[in-house]
Amino acid sequence: MASRPLCILIAAMGGEGGGVLTGWITGAAQRAGYPVQATSIPGVAQRTGATTYYIEIWPEKTTQRPVMSLNPAPGQVDVMIASEFVEAGRAIANGFVTPDRTLLIASTHRVFAIAERSAMGDGRYDTGRLFRAAKEFARQSILFDMDAAAKESGSILNAVLLGALAGSGALPISPGDFEAGIRMEGKAVDSNLAGYRFGLAHGKGDISATREAVAPLATHAPLFLDRIGRLPAAAQRYAAEGVKRLIDYQNDAYARLYLDRLDTIAALGDEPLTAEAARHLALRMSFEDVVRVAQLKLKPERFVAIERETRVKAGQPYAVADYVKPGIEEIASLLPPSLARWIIDMSARRGWLDKVHFGMTVRSNRLGGYLRFRLLAGLRSWRQRSFRYQEEQRHIEDWLDLIRRAAALDIQLAREIVECARLIKGYGDTFKRGMGNYLAIRKAIILPALSGHIAPAQAVEAIVQARTAALADPEGQSLTKTLAGFRATLPLSQAAE
Amino acid sequence: MERSFAKEIQSLRLGAGATFQGEGILAVTKALLQSGVSYVGGYQGAPVSHLLDVLVQAQDILDELGIHLETCTNEASAAALLGASINYPARGAVTWKSIVGTNVASDALSNLASAGVIGGALIILGEDYGEGASVIQERSHAYAMKSSMWLLDPRPDLPTITRCVEQGFALSEASNTPVMMELRIRACHVTGEFPAKDNVAAKVSRNARLTDPASFNYDRLSHPPATFMQERLKLERRLPAAQEFIQERGLNELIPGDLQEIGIIVQGGLYNTLNRALMNLNLSDAFGRSRVPLLVLNVTYPLVPGQISQFCAGKRAVLMVEEGSPEYIEQAIHTILRKADINTRLHGKGMLPAAGEYTIEALTRGLLAFIKAEQPQIDISTGEAGFQTALDTRRAAQALIGPDLPMRPPTFCTGCPERPVFTAIKLVERQVGKLHVAADIGCHALATFAPFSLGNSILGYGMSLASAAGVGPLSSKRPLAIMGDGGFWHNGVLSGVASSIFNRGDGVLVVMQNGYTSATGVQYLPSSTGNRLDHQPGGSDIETTVKALGVRWVRRIRSYSLPEMVKSLREAMTTAQKGLKVIIADGECQLARQRRLRVTEAEALKSGERVVRTRFGIDDSVCTGDHSCIRLSGCPSLTIKLNPDPLRSDPVASVISSCVGCGHCGEVAHAAVLCPSFYKTEIVHNPTWWDRLSDRLHRTIIGWLNGKPAAIQPAAGE
Repeated sequence: MASRPLCILIAAMGGEGGGVLTGWITGAAQRAGYPVQATSIPGVAQRTGATTYYIEIWPEKTTQRPVMSLNPAPGQVDVMIASEFVEAGRAIANGFVTPDRTLLIASTHRVFAIAERSAMGDGRYDTGRLFRAAKEFARQSILFDMDAAAKESGSILNAVLLGALAGSGALPISPGDFEAGIRMEGKAVDSNLAGYRFGLAHGKGDISATREAVAPLATHAPLFLDRIGRLPAAAQRYAAEGVKRLIDYQNDAYARLYLDRLDTIAALGDEPLTAEAARHLALRMSFEDVVRVAQLKLKPERFVAIERETRVKAGQPYAVADYVKPGIEEIASLLPPSLARWIIDMSARRGWLDKVHFGMTVRSNRLGGYLRFRLLAGLRSWRQRSFRYQEEQRHIEDWLDLIRRAAALDIQLAREIVECARLIKGYGDTFKRGMGNYLAIRKAIILPALSGHIAPAQAVEAIVQARTAALADPEGQSLTKTLAGFRATLPLSQAAE
Repeated sequence: MERSFAKEIQSLRLGAGATFQGEGILAVTKALLQSGVSYVGGYQGAPVSHLLDVLVQAQDILDELGIHLETCTNEASAAALLGASINYPARGAVTWKSIVGTNVASDALSNLASAGVIGGALIILGEDYGEGASVIQERSHAYAMKSSMWLLDPRPDLPTITRCVEQGFALSEASNTPVMMELRIRACHVTGEFPAKDNVAAKVSRNARLTDPASFNYDRLSHPPATFMQERLKLERRLPAAQEFIQERGLNELIPGDLQEIGIIVQGGLYNTLNRALMNLNLSDAFGRSRVPLLVLNVTYPLVPGQISQFCAGKRAVLMVEEGSPEYIEQAIHTILRKADINTRLHGKGMLPAAGEYTIEALTRGLLAFIKAEQPQIDISTGEAGFQTALDTRRAAQALIGPDLPMRPPTFCTGCPERPVFTAIKLVERQVGKLHVAADIGCHALATFAPFSLGNSILGYGMSLASAAGVGPLSSKRPLAIMGDGGFWHNGVLSGVASSIFNRGDGVLVVMQNGYTSATGVQYLPSSTGNRLDHQPGGSDIETTVKALGVRWVRRIRSYSLPEMVKSLREAMTTAQKGLKVIIADGECQLARQRRLRVTEAEALKSGERVVRTRFGIDDSVCTGDHSCIRLSGCPSLTIKLNPDPLRSDPVASVISSCVGCGHCGEVAHAAVLCPSFYKTEIVHNPTWWDRLSDRLHRTIIGWLNGKPAAIQPAAGE
């Protein structure tokens, strides 16, 4: 004789069809002849927010209806189902997954939350902790990427979850009763059954798909292999990629310049420093100007990727329209320095810089659009005479110089200066903001540190903080505050500099 | 409408002998039909939207039974609808979300309750309290007390809920008083079953109309001097009649137990949770055989003093389990016990939390305190240890996972027409500085969450413009009020627009015209392009209405046209022209649009018609991972993924397959001068010969120019 109902909590996101899954489970329980009750808290929360569904099943046939609860209690959930991994984590943190009782069935894929998506750099939550938590707090767990499984079987995630639940044997309901729900609903029966069966096999432990993401491997640039081979091991992979990219970006000579510059860093004798410099230097030297964008937009592999993503069939007509909107600075910076400077200064005086942009929608797989991009990409040979190129080289040389000078004081300081390159990226406003932030840190911390006004250790800490602050908000308030705070800690004589 | 109730409508037809299976709120709808109701109305809102939605789709059942359905424009009109039961022996039921709906309805409710009813009047309140609630946390109980209306709070199982509906009408008629029935969120959505009865056609209905209007009777008017008499009637006649009815029909339930020294009085709606908490301490079992005597109040107002004293008398102590504050019932019981000179100790708030939902955890904690204080000899150590272990485990889990687990607030759907408006506001703020944004109730309130984080106040449904009336004159910049078309027709047109014109206000109002009250489940409203009755346009037009009210500056802008929206907003903010400026952001609710499009597109594809599908994408190699685009959009389909570039570490933005091609990404990329990584693909399905030919030509020539042999792919086999 049972003394408690079986409690099933489903964590999902609004609009995912958690109600469908709930309906399948309660339907299966009813078919098996068990009293069942489900409830939920829909409403505005449905609009993509985190939500839950709760089910209680009385695991015996009975004429008398038990009193079932409408909400879950910590420590009293028998099966926790989560359609996404952070939602599984939320359930664990809320006490709904406990070692004495809970079977955790969760998809390990991520649907990134808004804070993770909108961060200026990498704001992703580290799910490593969640794997550990699942291991420590669940009695048993069935974890795999059900989103991928659903896509592979042309099904929906809920069908895979249902299959995993059926296969786990946690409920006194036969797979046949679960399957009947999908059939009775009559919608997308075949594909849902395919997803269900995949989940079922997983739940039973017949298959265990632990697919590891494969890290992209370094590509080879035979011409330069010899020089790359002389770099420290950790830097070689990046250097190989860098050489390849810069040949594509400009020419062989430019790639040689890259290696020449990198050698001066390698000579400092610090492997991690060289590796990170190899990475950032390649990115800085392949700065994103109009020419580069045009180049990238025309790459044949780009259209292969688009066709794959949009599932265009062979020969099916499709058009790609690219949204580009260069401003005066971006266009003028392709001109020789003196002319470019004159145009930019004049535009700045007249207040045009932030206002005048040339918005275009370029149909890049149609002849007209193709030719426009082709023309721009063709400016590659001219690029080295452009204002932007010369400005970038000046900044890069300065940055390398700072790194070398810092290495003489404190290798950690040099590493942090390398890392500051992370701030400089993108186009238009993003680029200007990033460059501005970098220059602010350079002036407030790096230069005083190199001239001996700030102790290296203090500067290292200050740079890390300032870099974090620079990525905290696009308005730059955090950085301004952090730098002001830092200046306030300095003795007056130094702060004045 | 967001959901189809085809299956549920069938169960509304069930007769005696059959078993109804389904959701709580739909069981209420069925119970109304079984009670011989003459008219039904209300205003949609979670968690009671389905009550009306299912009836809207069940016109044939309404026709058969002669029931009138009024989909009211706000709760005040729904409450006033019950006026039919003042003079006529007709049963009526209305529904809305409480507390907010009851607030709006309260003027009509006061008048209704004063005059009294002769036909049963039932108000189904979706008590939006606790987890999942979207409104301020207050109790409807106060309205019952101040207006002398009765309040049912049934045990959350379908047989009790439906019995309370049927008995509620009878109680209303026996005491000439409107009756409210509150159902918490989870009770509205709880599934279960009950034995159905035949539907009953009312004696007075659309099929059996009254021949004459009621004769003039001043006493039925809530107007002096009748109001003085009605106040006395409430207390001297209606209240005792109700108390007698409650006792006679056994609406409240007594569950005996062997621990006679103590007892618990509980609101019916909390009974299931209480039983589980008792089970945790081994003081009850899964079938509700409690060892502690319980008095389950399915009627929480009025109390029956005799019943309360009888339950408490001879006990050492009683615990009152009453959710929310103030603790009206607890105070009333104190008074009852004091007057009856009964010395039983009464516990409640203090042992139980003053605020927040009464979950199993909260009640278990309260019970532990109660038993330990009043019956320490009862061994509850096993239960307590289990409870502590669960809490310790949770603490350990939280320590491991850390406090930074990302929150997941709700947001605008993919392709929502309201998103671009908030992008425009953010862009305008870059030009004119930060604005005071008066937010409102509706989907657009989701802009108060990241990434927009816009909104300085919310004062109620349709109240945004009115709530900015005092801000504008004190500020150097015009305040910006946001309102949906739902809020506009619910209240905003008078409270906001007319009042602003009348007072020569100088603010800016953006009305989101998406064509439905979408947050409540996509229902029609007066300016919809459809109407549930004749499927013709709703008949009211927002632009015409505001012009008629005297607004001189009106712009109607397609909400996806970001540059135009930015321009108009900036103009509205900066123009020298005084007076209210109204921008109508026009764009159909994407949920409704997609539901329609999916069908027509599938049909078109099937029949071989040319269909162009639009999707957006991002070039991985061009994106540098700054995510400005996401900060200006927050679209669920615009997310991030691992950077495929081995040199970069920041994740790149990515458009996933749920994209509906609304075009916002492209507009933002242009308007905000973002990076050039966005592209739009237009894929032609069932292409014409011209599509094929021109596509092949472009491919071939580009192939030549790329210096490769022409890669002509077979155009057939599409």
